[in-house]
Amino acid sequence: MQPVFRYTHVDTPIHRLHPLVKLAYVLLTLVVVMYPIQASDMIVLLTWLAFSAVLWAVARIELARFATLFKILAGTFVFLLLIQGFTYRGGHTPLITLGHLKLWEADLGVITVEGVWFGLVLCVRILVATSSLPLFVMTTPASAIMTALGKLRVPQTATFMFISALSFTSLIFEMWGSIVEAQKLRAFDIDSMNLVKRAVKAYVPIITPLILLLFRRANDFQIAMETKGFGAPVKPTEIEVVSARLADYLWLALVLAVFAFCTWLEFAR
Amino acid sequence: MVSEDLAISLSDVTFSYEGDVVALQGLNLAARRGEFVVVLGANGAGKSTLCYLLSGIVPHIYGGRRRGEVSVAGLDPWDVPLYETSRRLGVLMQDPEVQLFMPTLRTELAFGPANLGVPREEILRRSREALSLVRLDGLEEHNPRDLSGGQKQRAALAAVLTMDPRVLVLDEPTSQLDPLGRWEVVEAIQRLKEKGELTIVMTTHETEEVLHLADQVLVLEQGRTVLQGTPAQVFGQPERLEAAGVKTPALVHIRSRVCPVAGSPEGVADVTVRQVADDIRTSVQAGRLRIDAAAVPPPRPPDAARPTILEARRLSVRYPGPPPVTALRDVSLEIRQGEFVGIIGQNGSGKSTLVKCFAGLLRPQEGEVLFRGESLSRLSVGGIARRIGLVLQNPDYQLFTASCSEEIRFGLRNVGVPRDEVEPRVREALRLVGLEAQAELFPFRLSFGDRRKLAVAATMALGPEVLIMDEPTTAQDHRGRYQLAELARRFHEERGATVLVITHDVDLIARYAQRLIVLCEGRVLLDGATAEVFMQVEELKKSFVVPPVAAQVARALAPLGVPPHVITPEQLYRVLGLVQGGAA
Repeated sequence: MQPVFRYTHVDTPIHRLHPLVKLAYVLLTLVVVMYPIQASDMIVLLTWLAFSAVLWAVARIELARFATLFKILAGTFVFLLLIQGFTYRGGHTPLITLGHLKLWEADLGVITVEGVWFGLVLCVRILVATSSLPLFVMTTPASAIMTALGKLRVPQTATFMFISALSFTSLIFEMWGSIVEAQKLRAFDIDSMNLVKRAVKAYVPIITPLILLLFRRANDFQIAMETKGFGAPVKPTEIEVVSARLADYLWLALVLAVFAFCTWLEFAR
Repeated sequence: MVSEDLAISLSDVTFSYEGDVVALQGLNLAARRGEFVVVLGANGAGKSTLCYLLSGIVPHIYGGRRRGEVSVAGLDPWDVPLYETSRRLGVLMQDPEVQLFMPTLRTELAFGPANLGVPREEILRRSREALSLVRLDGLEEHNPRDLSGGQKQRAALAAVLTMDPRVLVLDEPTSQLDPLGRWEVVEAIQRLKEKGELTIVMTTHETEEVLHLADQVLVLEQGRTVLQGTPAQVFGQPERLEAAGVKTPALVHIRSRVCPVAGSPEGVADVTVRQVADDIRTSVQAGRLRIDAAAVPPPRPPDAARPTILEARRLSVRYPGPPPVTALRDVSLEIRQGEFVGIIGQNGSGKSTLVKCFAGLLRPQEGEVLFRGESLSRLSVGGIARRIGLVLQNPDYQLFTASCSEEIRFGLRNVGVPRDEVEPRVREALRLVGLEAQAELFPFRLSFGDRRKLAVAATMALGPEVLIMDEPTTAQDHRGRYQLAELARRFHEERGATVLVITHDVDLIARYAQRLIVLCEGRVLLDGATAEVFMQVEELKKSFVVPPVAAQVARALAPLGVPPHVITPEQLYRVLGLVQGGAA
């Protein structure tokens, strides 16, 4: 199985974009999602999400990958909608009434329209926050990320840890799948267990071999890196020549403009 | 004092890991520039430790104590940091997956020299040269993870070559590859040798593939040198090699058996099928050997009266990707009760996908799998585990308990075996695989071969009617391969179980399997009695499968009356009257 959020070499304006412009987009996304949370934020978040969707489309990233991101987050979304629906303090318009259980200001038996709306705002906020980094990773080769972070004076070890963590994430998924299969062959089927049973006992036969394998893999990884001169006390050669072009400045201007518009929407109303 | 023209010099070297496990004892080795040294030995003989010692991985990553003198390209790797050694020595390991971590081949190749601050233009020049040498030109922008097994290992080799080493250490570089991948990697290594600039040390279990490359052969057993010399000197002692757990190349084995009658033992290293066939022909014509075609009767056709135990009906399996891959295309076949079936084919031909469908791990998008006529989808996970046991390639995916016996108990409890039956079954399973003495040992303290045996024991303990082994020979030494195959044979004979073995080892499968299925690009290419399948040489080429060496010799001797269904050395000896015995 291939990792979903992996760099794919395609020739698009987003792939050609200077990594620092993409990094600026990621950082500004984080600023947008950290604005004070209000129920009226939806328009701001949808504007930024629409901008992100345009970037995904220009980068020619398949919708299936976005669907995967949505699937990963689906459980969190349902949880947020339910918990906010039942407990939102500002909720007063009943949507579904299951009974009445007053706890301080909230009625835990009633799902309110305002609560569901606030839950939706939180869901979109999470979606906005989580959609920017995959775009960066899927359109920027690791060497360009390293060069860009190097220009920001991030130490090489820290940069390489970031790159390694990305490749280890997909490795963990692959190993997890193989271990689940191996245990299923001995009639241990984690997929058929309920959440409580999983939490109580199911993870030991899965997580123990996973940890042992990861230690071993990390060891092999260290050998492969260090026998290729990693850690030598010299300035590593920059292989990627990343120089800014006019298009990069234009894209940066666009990112800043959308950010400014969102900020105006957030604070000027 | 080390001579200056020696690229590698080891003088009376002894090495112990922390905890005083002695891994190498009194080792001596001298190799000049351009020399190719092959290191052989069973698992645990010290081959990898020797690679670690040469490349500085010990003591810089694995600690230990060393005595004696070591010089590699003028350095003692013990005394300098690893990055200094990496300027002069490159190391390629078994598993290509752990050596490739960059998103494109171009950046992968640049990683090493960039770490050493080599100028950009020089890195690009070296990368072009290395890619051309391993024949991966044009794939610079590909993600290394998307390449085939052989391509990955060649990419890893190219990434080592861009470091511009003087000495190259290859630690079982082909052990995890299929025949095509092995051929590709060996061909790249051969080109390196032909350039004559690098001193190469290569460890392997695949003696056939290095026979023609080696200038010097070193055979280790429990850390000691038991044989050392030219290929002719070393391979001329098959009994000593067997004792050290090293496979004598089948052709050399046949020649040494025929030689006392047919010719001289000289030149064993570059012997060919034609030469051996010519020797035998000369001996037959001179009356020194006689052909008894009846000594090996033709293979019996599959017993149609046996009930079908497993059936694949029009199976199609697609993996969504990216990129999407069709692993099985409309595959239909029946496995009869009590058969011993071999499954061969290139990586990606659908072998593992097929057996995963048989074990209920994969649901095909189309078609179904039946066990004794009942759809597998109607059986629970426990129900399948009691009937069909699949031993995966890597035992480490399943081992997690504190002892070997507990590892076996785990499955038995899951399938609901009564308490009073559990302990006898645990003891029996450990006895079957010869691990009784290690019953209370932490599984990860076992060797890789023994961990595999433990995984087999854990499966056998469940008492399945069908035992499937997925590539039990991968990364396994000669002795370990046959031990696992013997386990399968005993389970087949003593319990009447049906056995399916996936492997790339045609010599092994020729010896054990009654029936052979060849998969190619997700389809069944050939299916029949093992000897009959190996007779279809042209069809086998489509799947890059080469028949066993004995079958090739028999084919060359067909005009003399050697039956074409001879596929093992033992059968050949029987036909030549060198051993007495019944049918195979």
